[in-house]
Amino acid sequence: MRTPTIALFTACLGLSLAAAVHAEDFKVIANESVETSAVSLDDLKSVFLETKAQLGSGHVVPVLEKAGPAHAAFLKDCLAKSDTALSTYYRSLVFTGKGTLPKALASDSDVVDFVSKTKGAIGYVSPSAASSSVKTLEVK
Amino acid sequence: MKCLRFAIFSLGGIAIGVLSAQAQQIPDLTVGNYKVQFHAFASQGYAYTNDNNWLTMNTSDGSAAMTDFGVNATVQLNDKLRIGAQFYDRNIGHLGQWSPEFDWGFADYRVKDWLGFRGGKVKTVLGLYNDTQDLDFLHTFAFLPQSVYPTDLRDSTIAHTGGDVYGTISAKKAGSFAYTLYAGHREDSPYGGYPYYLKDVGIDFSSYGGLQYGTDLRWNTPVAGLTVGASGMKENITGTGTSTIFGPPTPYAEHSKNDTTDQFYGEYVHGNLRLDTEYRRYLRDQDIFNNAGDIYTDTRGWYGAAAYRISKRFELGGYYSRFTSAYTTNIFGSTGASLDTSIPGNHIFDKVLCVRFDATSFWNVKLEGHFMNGNDSTGEYPDGFYNGVNPNGFKPNTIAFVARTGVNF
Repeated sequence: MRTPTIALFTACLGLSLAAAVHAEDFKVIANESVETSAVSLDDLKSVFLETKAQLGSGHVVPVLEKAGPAHAAFLKDCLAKSDTALSTYYRSLVFTGKGTLPKALASDSDVVDFVSKTKGAIGYVSPSAASSSVKTLEVK
Repeated sequence: MKCLRFAIFSLGGIAIGVLSAQAQQIPDLTVGNYKVQFHAFASQGYAYTNDNNWLTMNTSDGSAAMTDFGVNATVQLNDKLRIGAQFYDRNIGHLGQWSPEFDWGFADYRVKDWLGFRGGKVKTVLGLYNDTQDLDFLHTFAFLPQSVYPTDLRDSTIAHTGGDVYGTISAKKAGSFAYTLYAGHREDSPYGGYPYYLKDVGIDFSSYGGLQYGTDLRWNTPVAGLTVGASGMKENITGTGTSTIFGPPTPYAEHSKNDTTDQFYGEYVHGNLRLDTEYRRYLRDQDIFNNAGDIYTDTRGWYGAAAYRISKRFELGGYYSRFTSAYTTNIFGSTGASLDTSIPGNHIFDKVLCVRFDATSFWNVKLEGHFMNGNDSTGEYPDGFYNGVNPNGFKPNTIAFVARTGVNF
């Protein structure tokens, strides 16, 4: 009885870890002030869930897209939350005072523009989006 | 008449929803160099029970005396410091009575991801939902499981004036750990469930509160969507007021000898499915009647809940909630006890089904059925059913229908 339980747990763990590492459908961009050039998926998730406010020694500010393929991919591959669940999560922070609502912008170009002008900003856009004014972070 | 009343409240909900839609367009207010975020919420409910009036409302006649709202403002002053505050008001039967309260207000200074401080009035972290229990729009259900989150007793756990130390520690491939340590003063509203319960026997509190301290540790496991945790809280509470139990008003006081809450919980989210379960044990040992007696209450509650979002607009959910209460007393040398939790007077077993409809991202409507066995009517600490609104006694079973609509922005 114990062996199948351990096997099932191990399988779930393996599937969960394997499912969480593909990020080809979005790219992560950051303001030039952000000190790092690479970020792990776990750290990225923590930044967007506001449990992590620093990358390296610098403060970071997450920026969301409101919709679109990059947003859908980011929710699925990085945050593992639906749009509704993410909205509920942020509102739980806002209405208990334990966080703020991140900026949510309409398009890739809006996100790139905001990130380029905002110290510490970090966001995600489609892989094809023009992003010469910001740095692209490698997702490890 | 009841249908008309509900229709009026539904239309009111639509009106608030429309106003909320307008409010969604309001950008952050800029004050000097700072951006101030404003948010608000409101909900209106209606409850009907076939037997037994519930949660201090006259639900057997149908009651729409179920309204609450809150408004808050938050500003990030710099990379590490944030301040904010929220006001909250409710009127649920005899609870709240439109007496607005300073719900939370604190400064939050995050030194590192693993070390932050909050000072002021802070919502208490206890289990999965204690700090969000008033926020109807965050939850699938119109009422959270009352065995663990009793709406009538929210004052006893909801917030403390003091401070928190908190943080999140990465454990690499083992996930992460989030901790909170807190201590502060709890002050109950005079319009909470416990003061209402004692008023019925002739005790009128002028103040009820005291020291509350505890901790919460939750593990965000490497299994995607799985969180488990434990919370513990100790309290040293004093209630003072007057008693008319033995005739003319005389000063009355009670205080904690031992007041302990332990809670364990787990949550699993996969796609549109959410499963959660919690267990809470509340041991309450009080000196009462100005130290002339002692009452020891052991309440235990647990629930298992499941919710599934079947589409963007609809979510279905259900839970089984189980509450038991047992006590012993020693008052003026006379002992008493009620330890058999199988009797309806010492338990509430609640089966619940709910459908939630999200008309928009900021306006929801919920319809919920409760099928309850028991009423905790012989217990010495209340949970939903009160003599004050049930003067003719209690029936063992209660079926409740709840409709609730809420907006937020």
